[in-house]
Amino acid sequence: MHTKALYGLMAEFDAPEALREAAARVRAAGYTRAEAYSPFPVEGVTEALGFGRTRVPLIVLIGGIVGAVGAFGMEWYANVLSYPWNIGGKPPNSWPAFIPITFELGVLGASFAAVIGMLAMNKLPQPYHPVFNAPRFGLASRDRFFLCIEAEDPIFDAHATRRLLEEMGPVEVVEVPQ
Amino acid sequence: MKQGDNRTSEPFEGDRLWRSLEELTDPASAASAALREFPADNPWRGPDRADAPSRRRFLQVLGASAAMAGLVGCSDRPVEEKIVPYVRQPEQVVPGRPLIFATAMPFNGYGRGVLVESHEGRPTKIEGNPDHPASLGATDVFMQASILSLYDPDRSKTVTRAGRPSHWGAFATELTQRLEAKRQSGSRGIAILTGAVASPTMGAQIKDLRRRFPEIAWYQYEPTARVNTMAGAQAAFGRPLTTLYHLDHARIIVSLDSDFLFEDPMSLRYARHFANARRVRSDTREITRLYVAESTLSITGSMADHRLPVRPAMITQITHALAARLGVAGISKLQFSGELDRFIATAADDLKQHPGTGVVIPGEAQPPEVHALAHAINQALKNVGTTVTCVEPAEVEPTDVRQALKKLVEAMENGTIDTLLILGGNPAYTAPADIPFAQALEKFSNARVADGRLTNFTARLGSHDDETTFLCQWHVPEAHYLEAWSDVRAADGTTSIIQPLILPLYAGRSAHELLALMLKETAQSPYELVRAHWRAQRRDSGDFEQWWLDTLKKGVIDGTASAPVQVGAAKIPAPSSTPSTSVTSLDLIFRPDPCVWDGSFANNAWLQELPKPFTKLVWDNAALISPTTAHRQGLWDGDAVTLMISGKQVDAPVRVLPGLPDDVVVAHLGYGRRRGGAVATDENGVRGFDAYALWASSTPGFATGLTLQKRSRRWELVATRNHHAMSALQGVDHVAGVKPHLKPDVVVTPETSRDELELKNRRLVRVVSLPQFRSNPQAVRELGGESAKKPVLSLYPTSWDYSQGPQWGMSIDLQTCIGCNACIVACQAENNIPIVGKFEVARMREMHWLRVDSYFSGSPDRPSVYHQPVPCMHCENAPCEYVCPTGATTHSTQGLNEMTYNRCIGTRYCSNNCPYKVRRFNFFAFGYQSSKGPEQLQKNPDVTVRTRGVMEKCSYCVQRINRTRIEVEKTVLDLTEQQRTDEARQRRQAMYNDLQTACQQACPTGAIVFGDITDRQSTVATLKAQPHDYTLLDELTTRPRTSYLARVTNPNPALGEGGVA
Amino acid sequence: MTTQVSPIRPSPVTPGTEVLAPGHSYGSVTDHIGGIVLWRRFGWIWLAGFAITFLLVLVLTGAIFWLIVRGIGVWGVDIPVAWGFAIINFVWWIGIGHAGTFISAMLLLMRQDWRTSINRFAEAMTLFAVACAGLFPLLHLGRIKFFYWLIPYPNTMWLWPQFRSALVWDVFAVSTYFTVSLIFWYVGLIPDLASLRDRADSRAKRVIFGVLALGWRGASRHWQRYQTAYLLLAGLAAPLVVSVHSIVGMDFASAQLPGWHSTIFPPYFVAGAIFSGFAMVLSLAIPLRVAFKLQDFITLRHLDNCAKLMLVTGLIVAYGYASEFYMGWYSGNVFESFVGLNRMTGPYAVATWLMLTCNVVVPQALWIRFVRRSPFLLFILSLLINVGMWLERFVIIITSLHRDFLPSSWGIYHPTRWDIATLAGTLGLFLCLFFLFCRFLPVISIFEMRELVHQTGQGAHPPDRMEPAHAH
Repeated sequence: MHTKALYGLMAEFDAPEALREAAARVRAAGYTRAEAYSPFPVEGVTEALGFGRTRVPLIVLIGGIVGAVGAFGMEWYANVLSYPWNIGGKPPNSWPAFIPITFELGVLGASFAAVIGMLAMNKLPQPYHPVFNAPRFGLASRDRFFLCIEAEDPIFDAHATRRLLEEMGPVEVVEVPQ
Repeated sequence: MKQGDNRTSEPFEGDRLWRSLEELTDPASAASAALREFPADNPWRGPDRADAPSRRRFLQVLGASAAMAGLVGCSDRPVEEKIVPYVRQPEQVVPGRPLIFATAMPFNGYGRGVLVESHEGRPTKIEGNPDHPASLGATDVFMQASILSLYDPDRSKTVTRAGRPSHWGAFATELTQRLEAKRQSGSRGIAILTGAVASPTMGAQIKDLRRRFPEIAWYQYEPTARVNTMAGAQAAFGRPLTTLYHLDHARIIVSLDSDFLFEDPMSLRYARHFANARRVRSDTREITRLYVAESTLSITGSMADHRLPVRPAMITQITHALAARLGVAGISKLQFSGELDRFIATAADDLKQHPGTGVVIPGEAQPPEVHALAHAINQALKNVGTTVTCVEPAEVEPTDVRQALKKLVEAMENGTIDTLLILGGNPAYTAPADIPFAQALEKFSNARVADGRLTNFTARLGSHDDETTFLCQWHVPEAHYLEAWSDVRAADGTTSIIQPLILPLYAGRSAHELLALMLKETAQSPYELVRAHWRAQRRDSGDFEQWWLDTLKKGVIDGTASAPVQVGAAKIPAPSSTPSTSVTSLDLIFRPDPCVWDGSFANNAWLQELPKPFTKLVWDNAALISPTTAHRQGLWDGDAVTLMISGKQVDAPVRVLPGLPDDVVVAHLGYGRRRGGAVATDENGVRGFDAYALWASSTPGFATGLTLQKRSRRWELVATRNHHAMSALQGVDHVAGVKPHLKPDVVVTPETSRDELELKNRRLVRVVSLPQFRSNPQAVRELGGESAKKPVLSLYPTSWDYSQGPQWGMSIDLQTCIGCNACIVACQAENNIPIVGKFEVARMREMHWLRVDSYFSGSPDRPSVYHQPVPCMHCENAPCEYVCPTGATTHSTQGLNEMTYNRCIGTRYCSNNCPYKVRRFNFFAFGYQSSKGPEQLQKNPDVTVRTRGVMEKCSYCVQRINRTRIEVEKTVLDLTEQQRTDEARQRRQAMYNDLQTACQQACPTGAIVFGDITDRQSTVATLKAQPHDYTLLDELTTRPRTSYLARVTNPNPALGEGGVA
Repeated sequence: MTTQVSPIRPSPVTPGTEVLAPGHSYGSVTDHIGGIVLWRRFGWIWLAGFAITFLLVLVLTGAIFWLIVRGIGVWGVDIPVAWGFAIINFVWWIGIGHAGTFISAMLLLMRQDWRTSINRFAEAMTLFAVACAGLFPLLHLGRIKFFYWLIPYPNTMWLWPQFRSALVWDVFAVSTYFTVSLIFWYVGLIPDLASLRDRADSRAKRVIFGVLALGWRGASRHWQRYQTAYLLLAGLAAPLVVSVHSIVGMDFASAQLPGWHSTIFPPYFVAGAIFSGFAMVLSLAIPLRVAFKLQDFITLRHLDNCAKLMLVTGLIVAYGYASEFYMGWYSGNVFESFVGLNRMTGPYAVATWLMLTCNVVVPQALWIRFVRRSPFLLFILSLLINVGMWLERFVIIITSLHRDFLPSSWGIYHPTRWDIATLAGTLGLFLCLFFLFCRFLPVISIFEMRELVHQTGQGAHPPDRMEPAHAH
């Protein structure tokens, strides 16, 4: 009946608690390729689905260091190597005067790293994604909570999986075409 | 109006184009100029600018004059005229290298030797000629500013008849024909009116004229001629004589209303000598003591150890009293009481104790009687021959000019003359109010016979289309002294040849030419006339050509100074009935204006914007009154009053000036011009008020019986500084712009209490008396307070080495600075400093790089006054530098705080952070506004003209430094290896010692000294080593390179400090 | 659809003072806030307001044009007062720009749930204020065309900016602050843009919001990284807020002018900034909640908290003044003590006393609970404080400059009509941008509101409006 290949099965819930519970049971059942979608971050879902910790903080740290070191380097180069002016009798390397810019650029670097890192790891921007094919998925940004088990999952079985999902008392379970 | 503005000046085509361009580029009407952000008084604004020569004309002039400098002049004058460079300069023009020529500037009739810097044929800068006795290398504001007058676009540019353009040919024909006709009929009725004439050539020409026209009448009129001085000598010795003073020998000087440091023809010489005898060094034992009794507040008065402000008429009695005490025969004792008596007594004693080294100097404003008495006193004190000498007057024919003018008016009225030539001057404006010269001249010019033909002939040689031109039939443009050959004698007789630096920009003629025309001489060029005269003079002495060259090079003719004449005992005139100075009325005192003199400089923008001494007023004159008088009359700065005296009246603005005697009003002549240029006159037609309208020939110095009437309207007076804010005067709150408790104290003396010194005083001006200084040389240093003693600590390593010479520094001696302003104008001329106009000055946007602050202290009627020139301090730890975001102001290895205009984006942070506020900002395109007219020819090519939106400031004349540095490097390169070490250093230091900044070179007293502070032998280094050397705001540890020498007073122990407390 | 009702907990606080009015569901908050953007029609008030402010923007453009044509001289600045309205306005706007990021970042870190409903428009306010502020350092240049010499690269003749100058610090501080605030604001917007995308009723809207939403789909992994990044951003923005106005304070503190050269400047500038920032937040929030019926989301509790923060920062500012005047006198330094005296009794005494009234006296009313709970009084008060803070900068800059060390250089400052036009113009620009913002973007963070609904234990139910997104 499906012209397109199947991406996965998606269950819709109307409460975050239900989603968390469902996620836990799916994980228990041994599914690895499942993902939950919610209108706001629901505590415990990621843990329930068994995802590890994110590496965003590391990227931010690196960004910050690069920014700060770059800034001081620039100031030092400009005043000591490139153009050692006598400015009001102050020494070429007036490091205290270089601190503010060092700090500012440090922050700037870290901030860019945070956002770009986050988007990159989320593979955003991503204009198309199969889950949008689910008719009521629009509610994922309003008041409904979805759990999708992908067809690629090694133990995915159209009937077994559907049964498992329906046991959790969802609003409905739909097939998500590729 | 005889003349509309739509007249075209025929010599230059392209005028129309210029005008229409003007109209295109100047959208708003001139009327609304004041409201726009352009300076209201932009001197070159308005239709006059349309008359500016086209660029093509500039090139002609430039080319011609460049050629003239040593080559063949090419112009309408076919003759070859060689002018000769000053001796220290190469004979030929090197592009980029200026030539210096020696010539002389006629001022007030007398000559002052000047050196003129000429760039590729453009005269750009005036300096004093060290070889000239009336200059000694110094200049005053008028000499400095005369270069701008040369390029004044408002100068008249063409011969006019009845206001309509004509040409020299037409004029020459009509004049000669008329004179021919007269010669047939016994040459009656010809008259010429000149200023005071001290030009030998002109004298000779006039002699010839008299031979040719026996009946010719010659009148001289000079508003500021020294009539009383001459009359005084007349009274004392039976003939007019010039008195010369030799202040370098003087120990005690008593000035009786005399401003000998500024108004005298020899003032520059006097100032130099006064300073020499006044200077204080660590080993000084004795300096001149100066007593001044005066009716105004003069520059001289501000230097006095004891100053007594009195009503002008009192001076006569004081002189009598002095004479009596000093045993001048035939003087009845006059009794005074109180301070007056103490002043006279102490002054007399001091003079007695210094026979032959004292001097009494009467002021020109005082009646002849005072001068005669002064002669008697000086004789009685054996001063004659040492500090005072008398010489024959330098004038060809000394006359009582005011009487002369009266006679001329009579002659015009009763028709004894029918042909009048006015050579120079502006008598229609400068004539005394009781001599109806203008009216007479107007009637005379317009008188017609029955058939409507004009009866009389009036011609006028003048620099501007002014009040006099307006009343004459013919007007001939007068050549500037830098445009025509002539010669002139200084007050002491020393004669100089005036050699022109440039061909007449506007086809101007000199008086010599007109006289030659009258004489029908074949050779009419001034060049030939002057040479002919001197060839005749030196008929029997050697090679004339060689003498001519040497003389031109030197700038003075050797051995022309008059020898002192032997005079008999001075006869004392019978004591005139002392004018009763009624307590009810006020005295009105007349003085030439310190900026525009008698009005002849009224169209000079530099001088108009030059802050007047003490009041710091610009673009206006005012009726000056003392605080007490102001209080009594319920007046305030800027109130308009009507001055009424003997039936004549004038409206004037009031300005309160501490230190004036009460019940006097000081009025400066020279303002209220009705014609004569865009600068001289204001939008509403008049700038300032015309004091001549009150000036009676009988009372030239001062008149009594003045009444004031307050007007409702106010008068916007603009000053560069609120001088009330600068005075810590007590009890003048009613005139002060600043609340009493906010008045800053700036003057410290050893009498200042510790608390006062540490907590209240800004310690800007430090004053000690000579005895205090000698007993404790550290006295001045102690006035710096605790903060000055603390060592300078810094977290930073000292990473810049200033030990390698040259390191530039400046020392300014407050002891000898007389506040004459010459340095300001010199700086303006040297550094292309724009003027901004009254409106912008009112908005505190004046551009002067150097200012002279005047501080008052003490009581409002007996204040002490201190002058403090403030250029950039060139701080080693410059606060302006580290705040600049683009590095536009940085420090050079030679310790200069350098401003890189190209790099400046105009954040103005540097100015905010400059404690001395010496930085100036181009809020508009000030520098370019004035560059559409001929005045751009004056610009110094070695100095950038700054664009809109950049900061600028004193550069220690870095262009001069660099020129010297290049010379130094060249000489060092010329040397061989083994020479290089020692000789190179000596030579270098020698050259650096010759280096002078513009302000230093102009300063008459040598108060400003600049040089290499690492060279122990250099003057500046020795000065900075003096115990009384200090820096401004030393507690900020900016380490300025400009430092000051404290003011050291020399009061008579018998009297208190300062005034006559 | 199931409609099982979960009981609504009685709200713990007195009515009207909870962070979210009762009776709201995930859906209702989404629709209400999103609805303002998607379905609400343009009321005449909005149109009128926009028209007026846009007019002021035109005035600003005119003033800038004239400035560039004629030069800095059209302003009232002179020597000695070389800085005038331009720098006053700059510091004022930057100060206002501090509340937004402070609320978002600081309060987020402190887990203040009440921040949720005001942080979005506070951040927007920050951006617009900083944008207005950013204009002035450029405009006040004598030669605007060379502003790029402030950008750190070896420009003309391989010269770099002079990094010791506090003005260069400003360039970095302000631009960094603007960039980070922008990022922070946008990241916060992404999930809401997704909501709008999914609710949009026209293709155009769907495309625009879709592009802006970057394809956000609320996956739990995404949420995890998103939250970490957002928290870190907050952690970075917090010290940034402090640093920026400290550096602006150093523009003055690092100079040696009496009245500027004072070590207390950085902290008391920061306090002053937040003070004025909250004042502006209130001046905007109070009309806003009425205009868009947001009383349920921006409750009296919010106003109350803002008021308390204003009181605290106001007291710090007052301390700053006190210590300035006191130290001036206590130092025994003639110049320092003169500044204090001149401020209180000199030609600008009026400004000083008005400043003290607005910034020190008036805020004391906030001790009273009634005042803190009265929107009207708060509104008036916040306006007064905005005026007071502008006067503070006026007093600091003008009175210090016009009479400094050498009495010979004392002067006075009079603003010209162009100064005033520029100030009015930037006010217009600020409000104009704000008008646009509150119509074209959600003025309150929707997903955080949903979180709030969740935390306050209200559930996913009635009234469930069928939103157009379903139509297909």
